[in-house]
Amino acid sequence: MPASGSSSGRAVWAILRKECRSEWRTRYGLNAALLFAVTSLASTSFAVGRMSDRTDVLAALLWVVLLFAALASLAHTFVRETEGHTMTLLRLVATPTSIALGKLLFNLLFLISIELVTVPLFLIFMGAPAPRWGPLLAILGLGSLALGAGATLVAAIIAQTRGRGALFAGVSFPVLLPILAAAVSGTRAQWSGAPVTAELRLLAAYAVALLAASLLLYDHLWEDA
Amino acid sequence: MIARGLLLLWIAGWIVAAFLWAPLVPVLGETTRVLYFHIPAAWVTVLALGWSMVHSLLYLKRRNLEHDHQAAAAAEIGLLFCVVATVSGALWAKAMWGAYWNWDPRETSIFFLLLIYAAYLALRSAIDQPERRARLAAVYSGIAFVSVPFLIFVVPRIYFSLHPDPLINPRGKVDMDPRIRVVFFALLVGFTMLFFWVQSLRVRVARVEHRRQGSVA
Repeated sequence: MPASGSSSGRAVWAILRKECRSEWRTRYGLNAALLFAVTSLASTSFAVGRMSDRTDVLAALLWVVLLFAALASLAHTFVRETEGHTMTLLRLVATPTSIALGKLLFNLLFLISIELVTVPLFLIFMGAPAPRWGPLLAILGLGSLALGAGATLVAAIIAQTRGRGALFAGVSFPVLLPILAAAVSGTRAQWSGAPVTAELRLLAAYAVALLAASLLLYDHLWEDA
Repeated sequence: MIARGLLLLWIAGWIVAAFLWAPLVPVLGETTRVLYFHIPAAWVTVLALGWSMVHSLLYLKRRNLEHDHQAAAAAEIGLLFCVVATVSGALWAKAMWGAYWNWDPRETSIFFLLLIYAAYLALRSAIDQPERRARLAAVYSGIAFVSVPFLIFVVPRIYFSLHPDPLINPRGKVDMDPRIRVVFFALLVGFTMLFFWVQSLRVRVARVEHRRQGSVA
């Protein structure tokens, strides 16, 4: 661990800024992810039609769409480095942990921007009844944090394998399954008027566990020169 | 050689006893006997996953490929037993609950283990270089190590389960006939020994493969 606390914080910030800048130059990843999210949303909505009265199904569909959007886009930050052969240079200037944390923060921003478009469109297309915004936003926030933490770590592994994109969905799914279960049940409770504290606690605990595991495991990600 | 023969006799003998000697539980009827195969298989599934994860973490600590052989072998055998546990459980569920599958929390957990095993092995198959494969598979194992307790222990507590729990539920334990218990624990031991025997074979094969790759390169 060459970097001290403050300088690694600066490194994380620098990585985040670099990610945002290189994404903004082409906006290729964001455009592809948004298009994919809207496509999966439209195909779901088109296939089932409006269903204002089945909020249990709506909660499940919302998270299936969000999970697909995450699976389609979150490997991008690491795969881009491998494909552009820039990973080695990046590793020269920053520790594995700060690279991964920077990319995690970027992925969170990325997820939030996808959700900003997808969730309102979902509510409109499906004719969903008005949600309770406080609980819904809390579940979306904690769910995204857990999704981002799990997916970023798996993406860092996947970027070093053959057939990167194809494997990502299958390999990260088991890690993301507990999030799906808790988030769907929380979103359902939010619509039916039940308390969501149990689900929020579960999501928060899982996000913290994943983040803690990440901090321990990031060091082992790139060792072979 | 002798140990292998004894293991064969032990398992075969207790399977015969399961059909001829042990009584049936009133409500479960003929389906009682799935107990002797399903639960030991499920136990080996969990044991193999634990074995694989411990060796993965040891690999990250010590960087000895021997640990990677152990982890990979346990994952392969664990997947096999996981399939046995899932299929025997689904057959039992069809007989008792009327459907092969209905996302009971136990079914969710075993399906989750199946996914983890499959993902771990798929990940391994996508990396050629042995050290890199060992390291990345071990990191993935570490992530799975965090997520397994959440599904295995948290979800069944949240959702209602119909699954009979004779090992955890004390009421079920009292109801258990001593003969059932003897056959059950004997087969539990038998399946565990079977796991360690196949595991040692698989590890030896992995060692030979690794040495041969080294001599070719």
